[in-house]
Amino acid sequence: MSTTWLPCGDYHQNYMEDHAWFQTKFIKGKMILLGLSLFVFIPLVSDSYWLSVCNTVGYTILGALGVQLLIGFCGQVTLGHAAFLAVGAYTSTLLTLEFPWPKLLIDWGLAYPFSIIIAGVVAGIWSVLFGLPSARVKGFYLILTTMAAQFITVDFIITQYVAQIGGRGMAFSLPPGTIKVGPWIIDTDLKVYYMMVVLVIICVIGLANLLRSRAGRAWVAIRDNDISAEVMGINIVQYKLLAFFVAGFIGGIAGAFWISNLAAISPEHFPWFVSLWLVGVILIGGVGSIHGAIFGSLFMVIVMEILQLIIMQFADTAIGEKFMMDFLFVKEAAFGLAICAFMIFEPNGLAYRWWQIKNYFNLWPFSY
Amino acid sequence: MELFFMTLTTGVMVGGIYALVALGWVLIYKCSGVLNLAMGELTLIGAYVSLSFYSMGVPFLLSLLFSLIIGFTLGILTERIFLDKLIGEPVLTVIMVTVGLSFFFKGCVELFWGTDTRVFDPPVFSIEPIRLGPLVIGEVYLFSFVAAIILLIIFVCFFKYTRWGLAMQATADDEMAALSLGVSARFVYAAAWSIAFMAAGVGGTLLGNINGLNISVGFLSLLVLPAVVLGGLNSVPGAIVGGIIIGILQNFCGAYLDRYFPGGVKEIAPFVFMAVFLLFKPYGLWGWERIERV
Repeated sequence: MSTTWLPCGDYHQNYMEDHAWFQTKFIKGKMILLGLSLFVFIPLVSDSYWLSVCNTVGYTILGALGVQLLIGFCGQVTLGHAAFLAVGAYTSTLLTLEFPWPKLLIDWGLAYPFSIIIAGVVAGIWSVLFGLPSARVKGFYLILTTMAAQFITVDFIITQYVAQIGGRGMAFSLPPGTIKVGPWIIDTDLKVYYMMVVLVIICVIGLANLLRSRAGRAWVAIRDNDISAEVMGINIVQYKLLAFFVAGFIGGIAGAFWISNLAAISPEHFPWFVSLWLVGVILIGGVGSIHGAIFGSLFMVIVMEILQLIIMQFADTAIGEKFMMDFLFVKEAAFGLAICAFMIFEPNGLAYRWWQIKNYFNLWPFSY
Repeated sequence: MELFFMTLTTGVMVGGIYALVALGWVLIYKCSGVLNLAMGELTLIGAYVSLSFYSMGVPFLLSLLFSLIIGFTLGILTERIFLDKLIGEPVLTVIMVTVGLSFFFKGCVELFWGTDTRVFDPPVFSIEPIRLGPLVIGEVYLFSFVAAIILLIIFVCFFKYTRWGLAMQATADDEMAALSLGVSARFVYAAAWSIAFMAAGVGGTLLGNINGLNISVGFLSLLVLPAVVLGGLNSVPGAIVGGIIIGILQNFCGAYLDRYFPGGVKEIAPFVFMAVFLLFKPYGLWGWERIERV
């Protein structure tokens, strides 16, 4: 379901056209509109609250992209992705707070951007470390080792050791003005929003390009049948580890981005719930497409916000008040039900519906 | 040396409870091939139900019985509403449905009973420890172990000698053959889920008696995963041995390693052990090795 059928009468005449990103003028126009709405329209119409919702969506997209790569494209089920977000976030925080950057870099506001990249690399290496068992085990057993990654990394190493560096106790507070990109100090939701949009676009384009390269085709082959992939001459261990590295890298970037939105960072931001949440997001969005990660994030975050708004309407009744107090738990239960419902009634996810609708209009009126 | 034996006995006793919960897990896997990640929440539900009855003044054994009955009903309902439609779907789908179920159950438990630690009040077991020669054992641990062992024996007998147990074993062995011999697979799956709910409920009630009951009891029963991996996913004796070994390992790490790595060694050790163990022996001690063909 990765390709969409072109409208009737559009033919490719050479390979350049076949490989082009935007295959028709119409698609190009759509993309320009999308870019305009992302950069101009949404910041204009939304207030601070909805901007912060958008930021959460972006964070979820960045996290879910890595999970989508591992589960949807390489077939390596992971239930410990929050560990890599945490590694990225902590690496970036520690680098910005403790590392003796040259004065020049701080003045130019390059310390934080550099730390994002380093955080990505560190999280990628950490992810490869926990991807090593994938050389031997797969399926359910791999799920267990990635779970172990979550507990070992977040609940033990980060909580007990990393979070104690500098004697700050559990939470690292980020003083205002530390997060600086170029000339801008990231302190409002709007600036976080722009950073988010840029990062998401870079990551989506990067991943999409990677997926249509040799590595991407190797991953899909491994997902579909790893034994036949090996027979075809793909070094499956190497490509599995590469998938883990790229997923960890994007996860690290997500974590490092998210600290710009937080006043303080603590291990409680990365519980096992987040790992499962990310997997749930791609299952709802659709496994095996980048659209899936984006639709899933949009759907889950916005549905949860709407749920909260609905409950707020009933805040003065007794039961509504209780639900308001315990909204986190309502959210958990609703998330669980949503996953179950999607798995039972719509196992292909939202991206599949989108694909069907798009094809219906592309091929209209002769859809056969 | 005394510390060693103390740790060993405590480990065996706690391990007995893990073995009970692990048994419920293995049961579901054996009968229906569902890898259940919601086991922790099943224990929570059972434990909270029996705690509620106990707080209302119902005698302990009776409230345990009530929680078994409710667990039985919930098990059948869960299977009929959610899992029944997923027979034959890919493994990841089924696993993620159990993950969804675990969130749903956890959210419901937190909504109904809150997150504060609750204890069985008045205490069911006396705080006064029992002395067996040089060994000092808390009464809770001893009774939990005994209860776990009795239940294990009941389960094993159920599988060996009753009609339903035989039907479940037959379905686990070969679904198609069992179906053609007139075994109702849907009935077997429902039975497996309700038995798992009941086993988890007893395990949870006993765990709740040790340190009080809160959400982290659900995390404790995630430890069944290392236990079943150690024993092999589809082996009942494996679950028992694995549970006890994990209990012992956990307590030894708590007793000896906590000095060197302060903090949560006790909670993490089983998972570290599991990750390393998987590298060397992915099918566990007694699990079936799966041979793959293209």
